[in-house]
Amino acid sequence: MVPALAEVERFVAMGTRIELHRFGPGDADALAAARRAIEAVDDALTIHRPSMTTALNEKLMSGQDASIDDPVLFEALVAIDQAYSATLGLFDPAADRRFASVGWSDIIFDRATARIAATRPVAFDFGGIGKGIALDRACDALRSAGVGSACLSAGESSIAVIGDHPLGGGWPFAIPDPLQTGQMLVELELHDESLSISSAVGAGMLAPERAAMIRPGDGAVVMDARCAVAIDRQGARAEAMSTALIVSDDARAASLVGERPKHRFLFDLSHTAAMPAPAAGMQVQ
Amino acid sequence: MTDSKVTERDFDLSRRSFIDRVLMATAAAGVAAAAPWASAAVAGEPKQADPVRLGVVGTGDRGRALIQNIAKTRNCAVAAICDTYAPHLDRARTLVGGGTRAFADYRAMLDAGGLDAVVIATPLDRHARHCLDAFDAGLHVWCEKAMARTIADCGAMVRRSQAARKVLQIGHQRMFHPTYLNALKRARAGEIGTLTQIRASWHRNNSWRRPVPADATDRQINWRLYRDSSAGLMTELATHQIQVGNWFFDAVPTRVMGSGSICFWKDGREVYDHVALIYDYTGGRKLIYTSLLNNARYGCEEQIQGSRGTIEPELGRFYQEVPPKVLALQRMQKDVARGHKRTVPIGGATWFPELPVTTPGESLGWGEYDETMLQFEGFGEAVRAGKPLPGLLAQAYHASVASLLGEQAMDSGEAMNWPTNLVAI
Repeated sequence: MVPALAEVERFVAMGTRIELHRFGPGDADALAAARRAIEAVDDALTIHRPSMTTALNEKLMSGQDASIDDPVLFEALVAIDQAYSATLGLFDPAADRRFASVGWSDIIFDRATARIAATRPVAFDFGGIGKGIALDRACDALRSAGVGSACLSAGESSIAVIGDHPLGGGWPFAIPDPLQTGQMLVELELHDESLSISSAVGAGMLAPERAAMIRPGDGAVVMDARCAVAIDRQGARAEAMSTALIVSDDARAASLVGERPKHRFLFDLSHTAAMPAPAAGMQVQ
Repeated sequence: MTDSKVTERDFDLSRRSFIDRVLMATAAAGVAAAAPWASAAVAGEPKQADPVRLGVVGTGDRGRALIQNIAKTRNCAVAAICDTYAPHLDRARTLVGGGTRAFADYRAMLDAGGLDAVVIATPLDRHARHCLDAFDAGLHVWCEKAMARTIADCGAMVRRSQAARKVLQIGHQRMFHPTYLNALKRARAGEIGTLTQIRASWHRNNSWRRPVPADATDRQINWRLYRDSSAGLMTELATHQIQVGNWFFDAVPTRVMGSGSICFWKDGREVYDHVALIYDYTGGRKLIYTSLLNNARYGCEEQIQGSRGTIEPELGRFYQEVPPKVLALQRMQKDVARGHKRTVPIGGATWFPELPVTTPGESLGWGEYDETMLQFEGFGEAVRAGKPLPGLLAQAYHASVASLLGEQAMDSGEAMNWPTNLVAI
């Protein structure tokens, strides 16, 4: 097969480095459109500079309700609402170390009127799901621009691919063991899908200003040595699932992995010599 | 007086190209409002007949450079020169026509008449006196930066120009430079994101002390090194860069903190040879300024830092915040190019070491043409209209006040708040 022409766009957004690789035909400004889509999500969902999200957080923290006018923020709240149910309440971007039991269950979100309120002070940190939404929107932009083959990365822990690999077939990826150099946790192929990796161990955890993983319900920081991988047609759902698996108890993790065992993986890295542990009746690896 | 090797056609082409670049930069949305003086200065071709007659007071190195730039303009001419130091006056005579009158006493020059405006390039502590006397003589004034030795004198110069309805223009050539205007255009367009910090430095490795001829005194030649005549690095160098800071932040500082010392050149000078200051602006923004005289590695530069990029106008470079490549994806690209498909290891650390960016950046464009010429053409038209170039004096006044406030902060060891009693412009 003749290699396809390739283009790359690299930039910083969503608090990490973004790479957009496109192959083959499509509009000349496809990557620029995808970049704009990601930056628009960043502008709406960031909590590191004034945004629609910080404005919403200020209102919810002061006990006021709010109207959601921004389409990106609205889409994010809908995605959270769906992901909260799909992850058995484990994915909760409203969980907060400062207020132990606060979370999405304190939110009253009316999609029909696009209004939101909270029964207790609460603030959102969209973090990973924001990256998923950004990649979803970037994929939409690339598809609209006629791009049929692309690989998008947001900080290496969030990947989305469009169509087939430029040389045919799926996109092959391997997830390295964060604790054992040269060892792989899993190898897999993506087809028009998104991949999210969450880890509570590894070099990335030492990064300055790295946000801790919070367990919903008690607001505790997750200390278990785990790595979770989730694949989904939607990046937002993949992000929510990998985060949910990391903070999950064993029973709910087994339930979630069991629903789609070829698309959800949870690795217990507390005994690295035994990695990956056999399934042994539980779908937690 | 132009270089004899440059033909009139060459001059026209280079001048036109310079003006065109200024026009291109100032045409952008937001820039005309942020640099109205530059738009006004290039708005029309200056009339060449009946040039504006200038008397230059102070013909040392800077004064003679100004004379050469005035000679490049289409609408100004040096009609008189003045200096109390005869060798400087003699050197200036070689740059002007034989009919140009020369004076040792500036009052005699003012009394002799035949001038439309005065150009002041004297030691700093004399700017105010020369300026006020020129206004009293019914003349317009172009004055070298900084404006004056004290904040009060800066205000007095502004007040007198307003009362006399005469133009007062201060020499800040960066405000007319296409590279700076282009940088401003790109910053205003949001290309470097939210501006939060400017790091500026002017570092040299020399004593700043000039040899004193037998017929002169040290204080006459090295007036920059003594407190009664100068605030040293602050008024002679920092003023330019503080003006750039104010300009890009579109604000004046709220306060300044600083530390100054005579750290290296312990030769009897009175002004600091090391200064380090922080100028606070609203919203937590900062201008961090250093100047020193025993290390030239980082030279003269302003680093205008935003959330999406950095502009370094003196280097003429524009840097975007582009992260390092993901090696695994880079390898994938190469594999595809050679028709080889293999597994991509992904999911490494999302954090990467925060080392300085070493990429060369993108050129902002530099020209060899001297923006000081454009300053004088703008001044000439302002004199003819009896109306100053818009926005220019406020920039200069605030830059001079900020430099002198910085000196006060270093002397007192205390943070100095921005004065509330400045003259409104």
